[in-house]
Amino acid sequence: MRAALGLGGRLLRAGGRRGLLSAGLTAVAVTVCTALLLFAVSANVAFAGRGDREAWRNPVPAKGRAVAVQAVHVDYVRDRRITVVELAALEPGAPPPPGLDRFPAPGEVWLSPALAELADELPADQLADRFAGRRGGTVGDEALVHPGELVAVRGWAPDSPVPAGKGADEPRGEVASTRISDFAGEPTPDAQGYRILALIASVLMAVPLLVFGGAAARLTVARRDQRLAALRLVGATPGQVVAMTAAEAVITAFAGAVAGTLLYVLLIPALTGIEIAGGSWFAADLWPGVPYTLAVLAAVPLLVGLSAVIGLRRVVVGPLGVAKRETPPGMRFVRVAVLLAVLAVVPTLSVGSGGGVIAVVLGLAFLSINLAGPWVVGLIGRITAGTARGPVRLLAGRRLVDDPRAAWRTVSGVALTGFVAGFVVLLNPSADLLGEADASRLRVSIPAARADAVAAEARERLAAAGVRAGTEVTGGGGEGGGKVLVVALGVREAGAPGKAEAGEKAGQGEKTDARVDAPVDAPVDAPVDAALVDRARTALDGLVPGRRATSTADDDRFGRLLIGDIGTGTIVVLTVSFLVAVVSAGITAVSSVLDRRQTYALLRLAGTPLKVLDRARRAETLIPLAVMGGGSIAVGLFCALPFAITGLDAGGLATLLACVLLGFAGVVGAGAVSAPVLRSVTENPAPRPD
Amino acid sequence: MTSVVLEGYGLTKRFGPATALAGVGLAIGRGEAVAIMGPSGSGKSTLLHCLAGIMKPDEGEVRLLGQRVDTMGERERSALRRTRFGFVFQFGQLLPELPADENVALPLMLGGVSRRDAVRRAREWFGPLGLGGMEERRPGELSGGQAQRVAIARALVTRPAVVFADEPTGALDQTTGHDTMRLLVEATRGGDASLVVVTHDPQVARWCDRTVEVRDGRIMAGVDA
Repeated sequence: MRAALGLGGRLLRAGGRRGLLSAGLTAVAVTVCTALLLFAVSANVAFAGRGDREAWRNPVPAKGRAVAVQAVHVDYVRDRRITVVELAALEPGAPPPPGLDRFPAPGEVWLSPALAELADELPADQLADRFAGRRGGTVGDEALVHPGELVAVRGWAPDSPVPAGKGADEPRGEVASTRISDFAGEPTPDAQGYRILALIASVLMAVPLLVFGGAAARLTVARRDQRLAALRLVGATPGQVVAMTAAEAVITAFAGAVAGTLLYVLLIPALTGIEIAGGSWFAADLWPGVPYTLAVLAAVPLLVGLSAVIGLRRVVVGPLGVAKRETPPGMRFVRVAVLLAVLAVVPTLSVGSGGGVIAVVLGLAFLSINLAGPWVVGLIGRITAGTARGPVRLLAGRRLVDDPRAAWRTVSGVALTGFVAGFVVLLNPSADLLGEADASRLRVSIPAARADAVAAEARERLAAAGVRAGTEVTGGGGEGGGKVLVVALGVREAGAPGKAEAGEKAGQGEKTDARVDAPVDAPVDAPVDAALVDRARTALDGLVPGRRATSTADDDRFGRLLIGDIGTGTIVVLTVSFLVAVVSAGITAVSSVLDRRQTYALLRLAGTPLKVLDRARRAETLIPLAVMGGGSIAVGLFCALPFAITGLDAGGLATLLACVLLGFAGVVGAGAVSAPVLRSVTENPAPRPD
Repeated sequence: MTSVVLEGYGLTKRFGPATALAGVGLAIGRGEAVAIMGPSGSGKSTLLHCLAGIMKPDEGEVRLLGQRVDTMGERERSALRRTRFGFVFQFGQLLPELPADENVALPLMLGGVSRRDAVRRAREWFGPLGLGGMEERRPGELSGGQAQRVAIARALVTRPAVVFADEPTGALDQTTGHDTMRLLVEATRGGDASLVVVTHDPQVARWCDRTVEVRDGRIMAGVDA
């Protein structure tokens, strides 16, 4: 075995310029595969890291002795979410929370770097006044979900009403005061939801990657099979041939995997800019860690080696196996039957189906497209050749019939991306679903017993802050049978001073003549901008301990964020798929030219114009691409139908069209890269020196 | 000699420091079959490539029916090779994915003939060349001799002025090689074309009207059959 491995290595080194070129193509393919695979793995690690760093803000009630009381509130500034953690130590020596070097003392406020910067930047009555108190320090990165996260930690005395207050039906992200024994916490449901989405995205990225990696390995073997058949003829055993092939593929793939890891590391700074769940990433988030990196470095070469060995079966079975070019046996229809069977199951699924079932059906649909692809390509080839009138379509059609698997390898990346695109665009909910968000009406839950007094105080605070608003106390909606104070911003009472008279500057966030006793249903006639809303929020801060003024826009904020994130995730997945598809198409095209260099050279020698050869090559890619790309999009749309919330909207249609255009442009561009190779192999068709 | 179809004067071709052809001159008459013989590295294939417009000589001239070939651009030479010349090689010239009749029809289709007419005209060559019933077979389903006969049909289907054959029997056994040469010479003459064969096999050269021997890039002798 060692001798075989050594010979494999020597064959690789001694392969000459052409051998090195083919090995280089495989290495490039593996480099791209590895970098993208590491990205897919890192996405999961990164979301897990975010979940872990956020867990301390989702406290678990103490089972034994409690050392502190913790509550979490959510506030907003400039449409950005602020997480406010209220802490009170129940005994001296309580452990500090993550990101703080000591437990915050009563009256102390610790701000995250981004929040501290914003508090300094905005007028105090829009933000900083909400966090009045002694600055204790800066919340460290280990306590933040993302670098730009707005987090405040406030220290309270144990008997203070804020951490001791108890609420029900806490809004998303808020936690009622909880007695805790440590800051371990547990990941929030939102964090777990994002992890599941990341896993689905990884699967969608990984399947084309594996198909591409396998294709690259088999292409390398295709160029070597003649030489390895010769080795069989001189008496090499199947085991030796397999070992030599595997050694050559594994050595090449390992070099590619190392290069891919380096490439990924270089890409990390750019990747941190992808905003998901409200923010970008720490560079450390996107480093998958040594164990996962080593696992990828080991798994990729092994998979490539395995794929190469599978591709060599024909040579191993018989020494003459690759020499004869006979009419290929037709693909069996069972390939399509499998796809149809899987598609028959799809209509039985619904949003209520288990996640596992949906994932299995989705995966099977994905794989069965890959199974049916070569059969359909063969059919397209027969139709193309049968109806061809000129040499270009005849050559393209016959080539498709001759080796539908090879033709499928060229277009499979784009076709599978078409499936992903079709699937996700229909599932991509539009922000229109959430309706018009109204940020001009703030609501505060107030205790029913003190409703009038609290409303009066609110009016005073708003007046003092120069915020013109109508106020109204409504019954219900507040927890515990409480009431809700509704504050309509920008509302002018009949007869109150108009804009001109009052020198209205509310739009600029400056104090104006304020009338605060207008009815809430009076027409809004002053501009309500983010500065005014923040001034009102700041004015109402602490009106009711532990309660924040929120709008319906705030209620929708997570939904909008999630919709935006699904959109971002879709773009990331499609970008990765397209990268794979285009690189795959380029490498396959170059390999195809190298494989057939003798035929091309002789055709050229006999006077065949280069243009005809080039057009035939393009046709043998674009014809199946058009059919399979369209078919895959249709299958993706079909698979998404049971889960679709709405029909295909303008945004989804635009995404689909962009996918189709990018796919064609990418494959045509990748094919153009191989044109110089074709010119090169046909340039001197008479290489014999005698 | 009958009227000259193809002629080369003072052909010189160098590959780096090595001189493959050193001032060679050769004329091919209409319907004439000429064998170019010589040991490996003597320059015989280079001579064929210069005469066929595959390669431009560094010095000298090549004329087809009086028209300069060596001064033509690549596109014109390609068109010339496609329409006026035919080629038969040792192996590998058939497209493996096309059936035999479409392999033969391909040069006609490249010249603008419709597929139906091209295939019909291609099939006319199968009977005379002993290939009846093999029209739809692919190259992998043909024997070496049968594949060479398909290649001969392909070389002749455009009714070329000259057919160039480079070691056409090199991959065949002796009996099949003789049959193939007989068919090549007969079919070429039948098509009123000239034949230039590069070989190092005297048995093959014997089928030709004349043999020229090339050594060290020069023509040593001419022998009429």
